[in-house]
Order: sequence, then C-alpha cells, then structure tokens
Amino acid sequence: MERGVGFHRYRRHAKSSSASTMVLPNDSNNNTTCNGDQQAPPPPPPPPCMVREQDQYMPIANVIRIMRRILPSHAKISDDAKETIQECVSEYISFITGEANERCQREQRKTVTAEDVLWAMGKLGFDDYIEPLTVYLNRYREAENERNTSHGDQLLFLKRGMEINHHGPIGMPPPYGSGYPMGHFSGMLDAAAAMGGGGYYRDLAGSGASSTAQNALASFDPFVQFK
Amino acid sequence: MRQAGIYSGVVSGGRSGPHLLPLARIKKIMKKSGDDVKMVSGEAPIVFSKACELFIEELTQRSWTVAMQRKKKTLHKEDVASAVLATDILDFLVNLVSDSNNPLDLAPVERETLVS
Repeated sequence: MERGVGFHRYRRHAKSSSASTMVLPNDSNNNTTCNGDQQAPPPPPPPPCMVREQDQYMPIANVIRIMRRILPSHAKISDDAKETIQECVSEYISFITGEANERCQREQRKTVTAEDVLWAMGKLGFDDYIEPLTVYLNRYREAENERNTSHGDQLLFLKRGMEINHHGPIGMPPPYGSGYPMGHFSGMLDAAAAMGGGGYYRDLAGSGASSTAQNALASFDPFVQFK
Repeated sequence: MRQAGIYSGVVSGGRSGPHLLPLARIKKIMKKSGDDVKMVSGEAPIVFSKACELFIEELTQRSWTVAMQRKKKTLHKEDVASAVLATDILDFLVNLVSDSNNPLDLAPVERETLVS
C-alpha cells in the first residue's frame, strides 16, 4: 500500500545527515539518491520502495493503547487510522519543538527546556494542555527531588517499611502510625519498586543513614516481597 | 511531614506506568525536527510524553466523533483527516493527512453543514 509521506518529514529527510532515515528494502547499505545527502541537490520525491522507518514514530502499540482509552469498547480502528495518528504524533512533536527551538535561538540559548516546550504549546494553540502538563512536570520534579535527597531515601524507605513490614517494630515517628491512609499507596510503591526502587536500598545501605533506618534494616529484609 | 502519594502522579498517574511513551524516541524526534536543534533538556521529553498522550486522546476523540456522525463503528484515516480539517490548531497536519489517493477536499460532514 502506497502511503503518503508528511511534507514536513520529507523536508527533514532531505536535510538530515542521519543514515537511518531512508532505507531500501533489499539493500540497507545502498547509497543511492534515496539517501538524505546534505551536499546533493534537492532529491527527487521519495520512491515508492521506501520503507517506513519505525524509529521516527512512537511505538504503535503505545499509541493504540492510548486511543483505546477514548474509544468505546466496541469500536474498531483501521490500520491506516493507527498509522496516521502515529505519524501525526511525530509531526506534533516536530511542530512544537521547532517553535520552541526558534525561541531558544532568539534568546541565544542552546538547550530546549521544558518551559520552552510549554511556551510553544501555548503559542501554537494548545493552551488547554499547559495546565495538566505543568501539574505533571511539577509532580515529576518533586519526585526527582525526593529521590535525590537522603531525606527522601529515608522517607521512602520508612514508608516501604510500613507497607511490607509485619515483622517487628521499626521505631517510626507517630505520624506514620495506624491512622495514616496507606491503602492507595501500595500500588504506587509497587510501581516505584518496578521502576528501580532497588536503587534506593543500595544507596541507603551505602550512605550514612540515620540510626532509625539502620535499626530497621537490621530487623527485617525489605526485599522479601520483591524476590 | 510529606503526604503519601508523592509518586502517585508520576509513577502511576492513575495509569499503567511511569511514562507511557519512550523518552529516547521522543528525544530523537525532537532532534530531527531541525538541523539546529542541538541540545534538549532532560525534562523536555517528559513534558512531551504526557503532551503526546493528551494529543492522541484529543485527536482520537475528534476523529471518533466524525466516525459516529457517519454512523461507522470503525475509525478510518478519512475520519482523522476530517477531524484535522475541522480543527484550526491541527492545521499543521493538513498535508500529512491528505495524500495523492485522497486529494484535499472538504469532508462530507462539513459539506452538509455548508449546504444547510
């Protein structure tokens, strides 16, 4: 099936020096005019044999998963709709990034930041996204700060202790007692563990943890649930 | 004392995983958006991972609305194309959704609106 190629993406291919942009099906080392060569004169339109490079798109399974959140369960999605939306996402990223990058250049900065991205979205009409994205970004930053400070490590560790531990006393301060709402937290911790919670324990073991944490370490094995 | 659920918005966000879309891939696409995109902060792909979710949701919602108006149960590319044409902020996608097989044309949905 011949597929239309986005205008913008074609232009980027023409400028790009990356070897991965255009591939012929039978010979991946073939340096024909299909290659995006910066020195060559403007190349002819991409030949029908061009293979769709997957690494310039979001993985289609992820795209479909997000689509299914919106669609009713009986809805079906044609393959061309899936691919079209997949292409639209990449085009969206390029579109916003282009605007953000122009702003960086005007202000003589080299790095495109999260703020630049948010600004570009506002400028290009995606204002509705700004608030939820700002909330998301702030939560991410909070979580990073928690991870990066030793206080955060202890805090996380103590909370894990509450979650896993029924082996014995930890010596936790009163706020973490029985009145503390922990029900919904377990899911989060499991996910955090999957994400790399093991790293916290390595750090904690190596760092100068407080005596509270160390006593807790001695009394039970925090990994028992995760082995 | 900090509240529980510090990780909630980021790690699960009520959903399946930390980031639904791969950050490295996002960064690659950002860098390809222009020759002069040199450096990208670590947080920018993270903003995009969420933004792309919102974008996919919005585009899907609009496209599905068109499909429903056409009394269809399957979402097709032409439904996406119609949604793009009907939405100002999606103008940047107009060339992408139209190709030589489907020359740029008003969707039947819009035509009906104009006639009536």
